[in-house]
Order: sequence, then structure tokens, then C-alpha cells
Amino acid sequence: MSRLLKIEWLKLKNYRPFWILMGMYTVFSLSICFGGMAILTWFKNQGAEFNGFNPTMLPMYDFPDIWQNLTWLTSLFKIILAFIVIMSINNEINYRIIRQNIIDGFEKRDWLLSKLLLNGVIAGYAVLLVFIGGLITGMIYGHPDSRTSIFINTNFLMAFFFDVFIFLCFAMLLIIATRKGALLIIGLLMYTVAFEPFVAFFFYDFPRMPVEYRQIADFFPVQSLRNLIPFPLKRYGLMEVSDTISIRAILIAAGWLFFNIGMTNWILKRRDL
Amino acid sequence: MEILATEKLTKKYKRLTALNELDFSIQKGMVFGLLGPNGSGKTTTLGMLLNVIQPTSGIYRWFGKPPSPASRREIGAILEIPCFLPYLTAVQNLKIIAEIKQCSYQAIDKTLETVGLYERRNDPFKTYSLGMKQRLAIGAALLSDPEVLIFDEPTNGLDPKGIVEIRELIIEIARTGKTIILASHLLDEVQKVCSDFMVLRKGEKLFQGRVEDALLNQKTIEVGSPDLSVLKNALERFEGIQELATTDGQCILKTNKEVTTTQIGEFLLEQNIPVNHLVKKEGSLEKEFLNILSEHE
Repeated sequence: MSRLLKIEWLKLKNYRPFWILMGMYTVFSLSICFGGMAILTWFKNQGAEFNGFNPTMLPMYDFPDIWQNLTWLTSLFKIILAFIVIMSINNEINYRIIRQNIIDGFEKRDWLLSKLLLNGVIAGYAVLLVFIGGLITGMIYGHPDSRTSIFINTNFLMAFFFDVFIFLCFAMLLIIATRKGALLIIGLLMYTVAFEPFVAFFFYDFPRMPVEYRQIADFFPVQSLRNLIPFPLKRYGLMEVSDTISIRAILIAAGWLFFNIGMTNWILKRRDL
Repeated sequence: MEILATEKLTKKYKRLTALNELDFSIQKGMVFGLLGPNGSGKTTTLGMLLNVIQPTSGIYRWFGKPPSPASRREIGAILEIPCFLPYLTAVQNLKIIAEIKQCSYQAIDKTLETVGLYERRNDPFKTYSLGMKQRLAIGAALLSDPEVLIFDEPTNGLDPKGIVEIRELIIEIARTGKTIILASHLLDEVQKVCSDFMVLRKGEKLFQGRVEDALLNQKTIEVGSPDLSVLKNALERFEGIQELATTDGQCILKTNKEVTTTQIGEFLLEQNIPVNHLVKKEGSLEKEFLNILSEHE
């Protein structure tokens, strides 16, 4: 295990795009943690009022709600992490590193396992960032009384881990299947931020959509992961928000987890390298 | 000791049979040349033996055992082109390979010295010339001091100096008693390096045998004299000549093994026949190879 991780580390530690993308993600993730209050202050200075309510008074940073808020928001940027997976595997395909690794004594299974470990470490890093960011901003901006509930609802951190991890495995499957890194990066970006949300919106909210079809979007590869962490910010419009993770969402996401890994394994096994 | 054996190894693509029921075996210490025109199935064969191409049918055994990652770690191989991460240095690339092969980093510097890359060890792979890349690939194959080495077209695309360097490196490695499999379409190369060879064409094995034996058939002696017909008459009386042909003002002799140019020279001197040309020609694998191919037309 540690040997496989070490090999991944040797492959990546001198690969500049890896550090650039990691840095980008770190900046985005922390600016979401710390930037929320800045945005609310900006709203306030612009004279915005929510029904006479001072925007900076929004309890966005109160424990335990902060975990759901921050994980939902940072999840929007997980595609940057997927780019790392795509670019590094794309290199290994183009430069025939996978093949050479097998020749040198890897099993295809070892190679896949090393990539899964890497995905796990990246997802773990994403969780760590949001955890530290949440802890600090919650302490600064959250209501002091909320501090007794720091470790409530931290299951959203777990959900966030699976959200990122499964998404990275999805990216891994796509690059193994297509072997076209540059196209895939553009394609996945378009799909994740534009195409699927639009189609999902169509299924969820199109007035004439028959009720039994509405749930189809729950099974989309990206939307299913988004559903792990329910959209939290509506609660500040005084609407009811689910603050639990639905078992159904977990099962669907787990289905994608098995599909992504299983398919990757199947393709690798069959393919001549 | 048997290093490698295959049984009816076959690879079929949709319409094409890349390799058809190949049986062959390699003994310890052989330097084994795998010959054949482009597309004859050499790389396909090696790819299957290294587990990166799935055989359609048939089996192979390394060291008498079914193939496994452990057996692959006992083999150092390069297939077609050197495969390294371009943004990593030679040392960084070899560290990855050392981890996979489960051997120590200590071998890295020594190996880089062997292949003459020690001075450039901390430069990125992408800055290397083709010859250096090829040498690094050979270094990577040598890294774990494996029992068997597989080189697939190791001099492809190299300049004449590079070809000589790589060839000398391979000969040096062969001297250490390692078993080497060398796939090439450069017959000259195989002739200079290999002890045994096999000829493939369109996925079929045409021939397997010793290089020495093949060359023996090819040995000739050329004799020239101002008066060719007198020379020819005289030589017809010489014992030990199997075949006598004349071309370009010379007699070409195919002789028994024991016949030397000295004997022929002395014989012609006795007959008072002036000689202006007397050369022993070593055979070439190229001729033998073309013979084998044409026999199977």
C-alpha cells in the first residue's frame, strides 16, 4: 500500500501542473471558507437588505450548519481535482508508463489500486482543507454559542469525501476509456457545469415533467453526487432544508462508485497496452 | 536450464492473425535473436510474454513457472520505444522503476554509469537525445540485475555511432552470462551479437537454429587470376570444394570446413598460376535470412 502511494508520489512530485492545480484548488477552497463573509459584507456595503435584515447577520458560519454550507459550496470546485487525475493518467497513457509499469512487474490491479489510493489522498486533502477552513471561520464568524456543536453534522465532511472520491473515480474511468486528455478536460467541464445541471434542472423543475420521471436526474453521475449534500442556503430564505444525508443518495452514489471502479478495471483487463 | 517456453501462443485481431501457434524455447545464457520483417509478430510475441498483450490462446512459462509479477521482476525489458515520464530526470524515473521492481536505490548510480548517463542523471528525460533515451531504457532494464533481458529494436532510429554503442553495450551484457532476447530487423546486428535466432513471418515461425550453423553454410572463398579459365580448371582438381562458380572475373568457392585460404594459395602456387585476389568471405545472416524467407514463398 505505502509502496504504491510512494510510486504515485514519485510520479507527481516533480510534475508542475499537479502543484498548480493543487494550489488553485487550495486557494478556491479557502476563499470559499473565508470569502463568504467578505461577500456578505460587500452586499451590506452595497446597501442590500434582506427584508430589512443585515446580511452579515446571516448565521452562515454557525456550527453545525457551517459544515453543510461549506461542503456544498466547495464541492463546486472539485472538478479542478478531477483535472489532476485526468492529466496524470493521460500522461501515463501517452508516455506508455502504464505499459512499462506492467512490464517492470506491476499487475494491472496494482496500477489501479495506486490510482485509487491517490484519489483517496486527494479527496482526503479536500476534506482536510474544508475542515480546517470551517473550524477557523466558524470560530471567527460563527455565533459563540454555536461552538458547543462543532462536531455535530460532521457527517457532511464524510459525504464530501465520498462526493470528491467518487467524482475522481469517474474522471479516472473517463480518461481510461477515452484516452483523450485535452478533449476530456473540456468535455467534463462542459458536462459538469453546464450540460448535466441543465438536464437535471429540466427533469426536476420542468412543469410538465411527469412525476415518475422527476427522479431520473437523481441517477446522473454528477447530480447523484451533488445530492449527497442537500442544498443548504435556502434555509436562510426561511425555507425548510434537509440537513441529513439521504440513504437513497448514498446508495446511488455507492452504485456509481462501484461502476466507476469496476468499469475501469474491466477496460484495463481487456485492453492490450 | 529452460528460461522460457511457449506452447501454441496465438494472437488474433479481428481479421489478422498476428501470431499463429508459436512454439519455441530459450535456454539459459542464450543470446536469442528474434528476426522478421516489419509486422511479422515480433513485438506482439514479446508483448504477450510481458503480459501487456492478452494472448488469444496458448500459454507460456518463464523459468518453468506460469507467468506472474514476480517472474516479470526477474526480467528487464524494453518494448519498442523508451517509456519514461519526460518531466522527470533519469534518477527520478529510475526510482519509480526501482520501487516497482522492489530493488534498492543504490543500483541507480551504478546503472547510470554503465550506460554512460551518470553526468546527465539530473537532467529531465525530455532533454535527452534519442541515443541517450535508448541507453536509459537499457539502464532501466538492467536496474534490478535481472536474469533475462529483452530488447526490442534497441537501435531503432539511432545514428551509426549510437548503433555501435548500443551493440557494444549488449555484447558486454551478454558476456556476463545473462540470457538476452533481441528482436530486430537489422540482421547485421543479430549476427554480431546473437548465439541463436528464430525467424518469424506473418505470425509464423519459419526457422529456429544457431547463428554459427547458419553462417557456416554461407562461408565462401574468392579467388581471382588474370586468366580465369586456367584458374577454374586448376581449382576443379582441388579437393574439398563443394561448389565452384565464376562471377566478375573471380571464382567463388564453397568449400568444406577445413579448407583454408593458405592451402588454396599454396596449391595454386604449385600449379604456377598467378593469383591477384584471395579472400575468405564470412557468411552473412542476411543471405541465410533471405534464403529462409524465399524457401517459404
